[in-house]
Amino acid sequence: MKRTYFLYVEENSPLYKLHPSLKIFLLLFFNIEALLLDSPYMLWGGIILTILLFKVAKIPLSRLGKFLAFAIIITQAIMFSYLLGSSIPGNIVYWHLPWGTYVTDVTLLHVFTMVGRFMLMLVGSTLVLSVLTDTDIIYGLVFLRVPYSIALTISLAFRFASIFLDDYLKVRDAMVLRGTSFDKGNIFQRARKYVNLAIPLMVMAIRRMLELTYVLEVKGTRLKGKRTFYREYKMKPYEKALAILLLATPALTLTMKMGLITFILPGVLAQ
Amino acid sequence: MAKEGFGIKQIAVTAVTAGLCLPLALFAIILVPIPGLPAASGFWIPAGFYFVMTLWFGVWGALGGHIATTIAMGYFFGYTLHIWVDGGLGDFIAPLVALVIFKALKANPELKTQRDYVVWVVSVMIASLVCGLWVQTVHLLFGVITWPFWWIGVLTYFIGDTMAIVTVGTPLLKALTAYVKQSPMYIWK
Repeated sequence: MKRTYFLYVEENSPLYKLHPSLKIFLLLFFNIEALLLDSPYMLWGGIILTILLFKVAKIPLSRLGKFLAFAIIITQAIMFSYLLGSSIPGNIVYWHLPWGTYVTDVTLLHVFTMVGRFMLMLVGSTLVLSVLTDTDIIYGLVFLRVPYSIALTISLAFRFASIFLDDYLKVRDAMVLRGTSFDKGNIFQRARKYVNLAIPLMVMAIRRMLELTYVLEVKGTRLKGKRTFYREYKMKPYEKALAILLLATPALTLTMKMGLITFILPGVLAQ
Repeated sequence: MAKEGFGIKQIAVTAVTAGLCLPLALFAIILVPIPGLPAASGFWIPAGFYFVMTLWFGVWGALGGHIATTIAMGYFFGYTLHIWVDGGLGDFIAPLVALVIFKALKANPELKTQRDYVVWVVSVMIASLVCGLWVQTVHLLFGVITWPFWWIGVLTYFIGDTMAIVTVGTPLLKALTAYVKQSPMYIWK
């Protein structure tokens, strides 16, 4: 088993073994494709295919369950905005709202599409992040000609996020052991307790910042000039084919949208 | 302000600020969501941290906030491209607006006088309003929110950000500026 940002994955997982730049391509692919697709059928079809990819990549589907709260928050936001605040013409008007907006069959299609778009991005990004390591970000971005300094910064940001999450829990536990109750009091009292938590967290951040500077200096990290790397990744023929497919599909989707009804939001034709 | 390029120190400031703000951004969205506004929060906790980081360490603190917002809202909530243009850039601009006002009015980040407090609060309010207008207009242009939710978005953004920054940022500035002054990255020397 190998540790990634999110979890331990099997070493022989086909997605884990993929070239680092392809993992970044795949992340961009899911997000761009979801933005390009308008048809709810295509979007939800894509979601089902991506869920099947979890099985192929040997990633436990329970990982998706952890994002259920996020999914509900976003879904409610989209539904509120469209159902209460839009006036999209359609064939059937279901409700007229007192402030002048209304809900039609096309409004519901828009909601279904927007939720599908978000879900495809969420499921796709989760799939890729489940197999992504911190070195993948550096090697992948450098392979794509992104400057090393930027690749290192992004990789460190991910690494520090998990470190600070641990720090937060440590400080919180220490405060609880000293008698602080984060659940008691009104909203302002609770906010004040969290503010007290911010000061030690910030002190830890400043210390880590200085330590990181010293470590990078001591290691002789150079940001300019030619660098050599510990590992060398070469793209295999099937990975090259996959890269071409990932680059060509968004272009193909755009072309299909012009000629095929199945790629367009159905309600748009009714207007 | 010291004229330094992008080096080791700047990477450290940016990466640590981003790493610190990333989980806080997620907490903020989960704990205080706003109905009708995806990936928004009524109490944007990380803003308190990256505003303070920007006042101490300059543009690199703001860049850290930008990366945190983009990653947190983008990768975990979809809308990557949209969120980069929207919340990501908005959260990059806002602390810089506050820094410019702070610098222009020659206020002290240690908040030693009443004038420093007034400059701090006013700069935060202006920055939050600028950011709120930017974010909600981009939301509207991308079709994520509808027109009636635009002003609700701007208002909640303004209130939520201002409250969070003033509540979290003020004790941080007051308690820690003297400590941070010793670091080589501090820009007010």
